Amino acid sequence: MQTYFPSAPDVVSMAIQRRPLLAAIGSGVAVGLSGCAALGADGGSGPESSGETVTLATTTSTYDTGLLDALNAPFEERYGVTVNTISDGTGAAIETGRRGDSDVVIVHARSQEDALIESGDAINRRDLMVNDYVILGPSDDPAGIAGDDDAVAAFEAIVDSESTFVSRGDNSGTHTRERDIWEAAGLETAEFGGWYRDAGQGMGAVIVQADRTDGYTLADRGTARSMATETDLEVHVDGPIDGGPALLANPYGIAAVNPAVHDSVHYDLAMAYIGFVTGTDGQAIIEDYTVEGTQLFVPAALTEDPEFGQYVPETWDGSDGDE
Amino acid sequence: MLSPLVVDAPFEWHYIRSIIRVSLYVSLTAVVLSTLFSLPIALVLGFTEFRGKTLLTSLINTGMGFPSVVVGLIVLFALSNDGPLGSWDLVFTPEAMIISQFVLAAPVITGVSLAAVGGVEQNVRDAAYAMGGTTVDVALVTIKEARYGIATAVLAGFGRAISEVGSVLIVGGNIAGSDGTSVTRTLTTAIQLEARQGRFETAMLLGAILVVLVLLVNAIVVRLGNGGGRYR
Amino acid sequence: MTLEAIDVHHGYGNETVFDGVSLSVPPGEIVAIIGPSGVGKSTLLRLLALFDAPDQGSIAYDSEDVWELPDQRRLEHRRRIGMVFQEASLFDASVRRNVEYGLRVRQSWPDRIRHELSRLIGTANGTHSAIDAIETVGLGDRIDQDATSLSGGEAQRVAFARALAYEPDVLLLDEPTSDLDPRNTAEIEAAIREAKQRDIGVAIATHDMHQAKRIADSVAVLLETDIIEVGETEAIFETPTDDRTRKFIQGELIY
Repeated sequence: MQTYFPSAPDVVSMAIQRRPLLAAIGSGVAVGLSGCAALGADGGSGPESSGETVTLATTTSTYDTGLLDALNAPFEERYGVTVNTISDGTGAAIETGRRGDSDVVIVHARSQEDALIESGDAINRRDLMVNDYVILGPSDDPAGIAGDDDAVAAFEAIVDSESTFVSRGDNSGTHTRERDIWEAAGLETAEFGGWYRDAGQGMGAVIVQADRTDGYTLADRGTARSMATETDLEVHVDGPIDGGPALLANPYGIAAVNPAVHDSVHYDLAMAYIGFVTGTDGQAIIEDYTVEGTQLFVPAALTEDPEFGQYVPETWDGSDGDE
Repeated sequence: MLSPLVVDAPFEWHYIRSIIRVSLYVSLTAVVLSTLFSLPIALVLGFTEFRGKTLLTSLINTGMGFPSVVVGLIVLFALSNDGPLGSWDLVFTPEAMIISQFVLAAPVITGVSLAAVGGVEQNVRDAAYAMGGTTVDVALVTIKEARYGIATAVLAGFGRAISEVGSVLIVGGNIAGSDGTSVTRTLTTAIQLEARQGRFETAMLLGAILVVLVLLVNAIVVRLGNGGGRYR
Repeated sequence: MTLEAIDVHHGYGNETVFDGVSLSVPPGEIVAIIGPSGVGKSTLLRLLALFDAPDQGSIAYDSEDVWELPDQRRLEHRRRIGMVFQEASLFDASVRRNVEYGLRVRQSWPDRIRHELSRLIGTANGTHSAIDAIETVGLGDRIDQDATSLSGGEAQRVAFARALAYEPDVLLLDEPTSDLDPRNTAEIEAAIREAKQRDIGVAIATHDMHQAKRIADSVAVLLETDIIEVGETEAIFETPTDDRTRKFIQGELIY
């Protein structure tokens, strides 16, 4: 939940602590990125914010879990830089980065992240954290999928029973994953009957709709958990974090918008932010973040063994783009 | 489970206050600027003839119902860092929201003012002129005579501005800080956020606050109109 | 201080209204303009009031062609002229605000703003000439009344006071009492005589021959597109030189 509603931490003071900026950034950046993060802060002569802002574009499902407020507050306190978070659909978040209207992008749609890197609009992509999807459904489970460990089979069961299914329908990461599962099952959503509903809305609204129509839906664990008390839906098929099928994994990436292409972005601040959230402190916050007592995300940025795949598009064949 | 009202009561008042502040700042500024822009246009349209007058009037009527999302998109792409006005550095700021609400409110205020101003008899305007009034004086007399209609126009413009969600969401980004201070979050975009998360009671509460706010502004404007009669 | 129309030609579209009309409004004199409906009495007065420039000919003030002057000078002349129309057309405000209007627009903007502010906090004083004007038409006790609540006759008297308040040199009256009852007509005519006493030149368009006989010093007969005759009132009515004049007067005097 948003941290400014009940059960939230106290309002964070904006005091900058006096510590060398480079050391702070260095401890956060895991890979040898040469970000010279001159933040322009006044060297911490008092609890003053520098007045600078870094703009983050992300998805509504990420924002609505409240995780970002938990990450941004300590970042703002340490660096005296305000984080402006804009949440919209995945496509919109990507587009915002592509236009250079944000400095950082956090989404969970690897193919779209890769497109952003390939076009040169984003650089320095890192794995950030992992969530997974769950299949929610009415408590009486008309399709009988409870406990299934095969996402494709579960979807097929829903089709066979013609149970109501509510889709995001908005080209979000969740919607993309849902489409992948239908594709793996060899099914065409265009041929479905009226039981398949295209909501065209965000995760929260879709869950509410599924609840009201006693239907199934594919949801990210974060939103599902944060809405658990608001609906009567249950998790029938769990994600890989709790032992479910790998097809329901939901990895998040973070990237900076390329200052060479968009010269008005605050690249240094973006790298400081990426450094913070992928560093020890940020990853700890992610690990500790719970909603309704449940951990929502598994941190994925800090690994002893190298994970080269995170820096380049998944389909990279080792060539250097054009030329 | 606590009843909705009790759960929502210990709202962070700071959060609500900052949202109200942003809503009022954006919409009031947009309406004031829009009125200053629209009234002269209404006067010119009402009392002069020129080529293209019919076209302009049609544009205004069309503009009154122009979808706010579309205006939002146009303003966003104009102000985007990649766009023509990127150097203004206004994307995702309250000022960008003021611009889009200005575009939305201006046709309404112009159109309704035009109707009000058109109702002022030429004889009254002639009398003002005959008494030695300049063009500006006659314009002021016209505005004064049409003041109730113009107040309606301004209130209509304000209503359109403060209750729209499409354009401010797109150009503003619905930004609120981690401590709950709104940067570009208005009552309408906050309602949208609560609703998409399924928190409908909270959304309704914010909606009620919005309605009260609109009623308050209406009451103040009407009061000013009647109260001004004291020193006539 | 004489306002004159000199050899004015004027028309609308294909229609000629005036084909060489001249008229003089000297100070302290009441000139009645008579003629059939629609002949252009109002148009002539509007040209004299400097609403529009005549197509040909000139409008002169103290022998200066007003339309040859720069805008500011012409405005100054325009502000020496007062006009009352057939309909009162008062502002939606108090009688006082209406009557003081002419004085208000003549103030500089800083003074105007200062006056409005003092009005809002209730410390403004009434202007002497405005009070005098409203008393001249016998409505001094109504000065703070809402102008829209006046009767037709009272409203027209306020319209007269409006024109009088800024002490013009010339008063142009376009059928000012056509819609009024005898009592209000009498009040207006008394005010007109008062204006004459103050050396104000008055031109009054009227279809009421009796009124013309009552108050006018001279009469101008406007027929078709010309002023065919101008002369002392008695002379025009008793011994008109032009045959058309005689016919017109006889036709009008039947009523």
